[in-house]
Amino acid sequence: MAIIKGKAWVAKTYVMSFDMIVQKFWTSPIDPIENSKWVMAGVDEAFNKENGFKDFGYTFIVAGHNFAGGGKSIEHCVTGLMGANIKAVFATSFARLQFRNAINYGMPFITSKDMNLDCETGDELEYNSDNGEIKNLSNGKIFSSVPVAPFVAEVGAAGGLMNFIRTKIADGSIANLH
Amino acid sequence: MAMTITEKIMAFNSGRDSVVPGQLVWVDVHTVMTMDYLGKQCFKAFESLGAKTLFNRDRVICVSDHLVPPPTPEYATMLNEWREIVKSYDIPNFYDLGRQGIAHQIMVEQGHVLPGKISIGTDSHANTYGAVGAVGNAIGVTDAAIAMATGKCWFRVPETVKFHIKGEWQPWVMAKDLSLHIMGMMHWNGHLIYKALEYCGPAIDALDIAGRMTLCNMTVDLGAKNGIIAPDAKTAAYLQSVQKGDWNMIASDADAHYDAVYEVDVTNVGPTIARPDKLDDTVPVEQLVGTKFNKAFVGTCTNGRTEDFAIIAKILDGKKIHRDVNMICIPASQQVYLECIQKGYFEILVKAGVAIETPSCGPCAGIHTGVAGDGDIMLSAGNRNMKGRMGSKNAQIYLTSPAVVAASAVKGVITDPRSENW
Ligand code: SF4
Repeated sequence: MAIIKGKAWVAKTYVMSFDMIVQKFWTSPIDPIENSKWVMAGVDEAFNKENGFKDFGYTFIVAGHNFAGGGKSIEHCVTGLMGANIKAVFATSFARLQFRNAINYGMPFITSKDMNLDCETGDELEYNSDNGEIKNLSNGKIFSSVPVAPFVAEVGAAGGLMNFIRTKIADGSIANLH
Repeated sequence: MAMTITEKIMAFNSGRDSVVPGQLVWVDVHTVMTMDYLGKQCFKAFESLGAKTLFNRDRVICVSDHLVPPPTPEYATMLNEWREIVKSYDIPNFYDLGRQGIAHQIMVEQGHVLPGKISIGTDSHANTYGAVGAVGNAIGVTDAAIAMATGKCWFRVPETVKFHIKGEWQPWVMAKDLSLHIMGMMHWNGHLIYKALEYCGPAIDALDIAGRMTLCNMTVDLGAKNGIIAPDAKTAAYLQSVQKGDWNMIASDADAHYDAVYEVDVTNVGPTIARPDKLDDTVPVEQLVGTKFNKAFVGTCTNGRTEDFAIIAKILDGKKIHRDVNMICIPASQQVYLECIQKGYFEILVKAGVAIETPSCGPCAGIHTGVAGDGDIMLSAGNRNMKGRMGSKNAQIYLTSPAVVAASAVKGVITDPRSENW
């Protein structure tokens, strides 16, 4: 059983990709530790310093609609969160580009409607990835989430799409992708 | 089984007879595009996969667009590294400075996207390719690297939403106005997340390929997975001028299932403007007439085509840009640049007092060639107006059509292009 516990940061407004990673870092190499130094810098002034977001020590992000919207395809948004030790993001909906990047990196972007209305920043959450249940240990509320597709789980278990494909190239089963 | 055009393309390119929305499929990609600032990372990631060769050297399209010509030594160095890696793979379709253009323009005008096929690119506006009946999709470095190695990309088959556009286009109303109108209707990144968006109807039939590109281009900003227009005689004529070969003139089945259908009568759509900061904060131009601004810009993958400059030339012919306004125009590619010179449009623009820059993304991404400073009020025919997008966070960006930008640049305040006989 996979249970993760930790503190959440709760977004009260839209979280946009171009604020998660501000413009001057769009051309930076993709590297979780490097990207995590300035991740979320444009989202909140409190995060706008080196390791500003990471140093709060959050494990989860809870958000409303269109998390990581704004149409940027850069992967730094996801790797930055990974480097900042975020273990899952719960949102009512995700922007498709970052949802895709998250799947590719095996980073759980979990769809759970309106959780942001019943959680506060600093609340302690417990996420059970087996049944998708999320408990807010600070206020006793329980949330369910949309089950993760088998492919997504498979990629996650492989440690991301690169590893998933690397293995298939190595063992010659790549031609079977369908 | 009845399918929409997007479903058909996903089925045929994944070796299936049919697919249903929600299904996860690995598709064959026709082309993979990457560009200067992410491209090196794509090749590096590709190398780390252990694949011996690219899936097809002719189908990996490399473009220099965001950073050319390099504005800083850092970008110059980045470009040098990019060139080096592209050259090491001996990529035939390398559109570097001198042959450059904005990647999405290059992909279409050079025939790298075809009806019935799937093309992907490491930039959000790859949705543009739907203009010629392809599925165009933005992906990240990981997906690009995997496609470079395998020729494949995974997709969740999207639900399709249909926009049936009827009515007659009114004078000076452009595809951009319809696009902004729909943005105001549906909301920025709103109800269309993950959806395929299909435009059809008599007003779409009437649109040229340039207008169709504008429309499909901005579907990414609606949150859609792709935007698409079924190929027709205009598509075929356009493609014949750029590409030899066969393609699949694919269309949705009459009884295909749509997630939702919206109807818009373009007769009622006038010139439209998105106010600063939010793409969906759109209003008819009438509401903003008289508003001061100081910078005018036309270019980008949304509105930097020959047809756009034709409209501008018509308005600026014999006129002068208002002395309180600086106007920059950037053709979307070298080919567009040449066409605009040959047709005389740029002569008119230069005489009117417009600064013309070499093809690139320009100030659209806030990198170079006329970025916004503190207090600037930009009237732009680009596609994004978020704070800081074109430079300073203390600038304001109004988004609109090339016609509104040109008419306004003459008057020095936001102007309805229908108000005068240009
Ligand atoms: S023109 Fe602007 S939107 Fe288009 S690809 Fe370049 S930066 Fe992106």
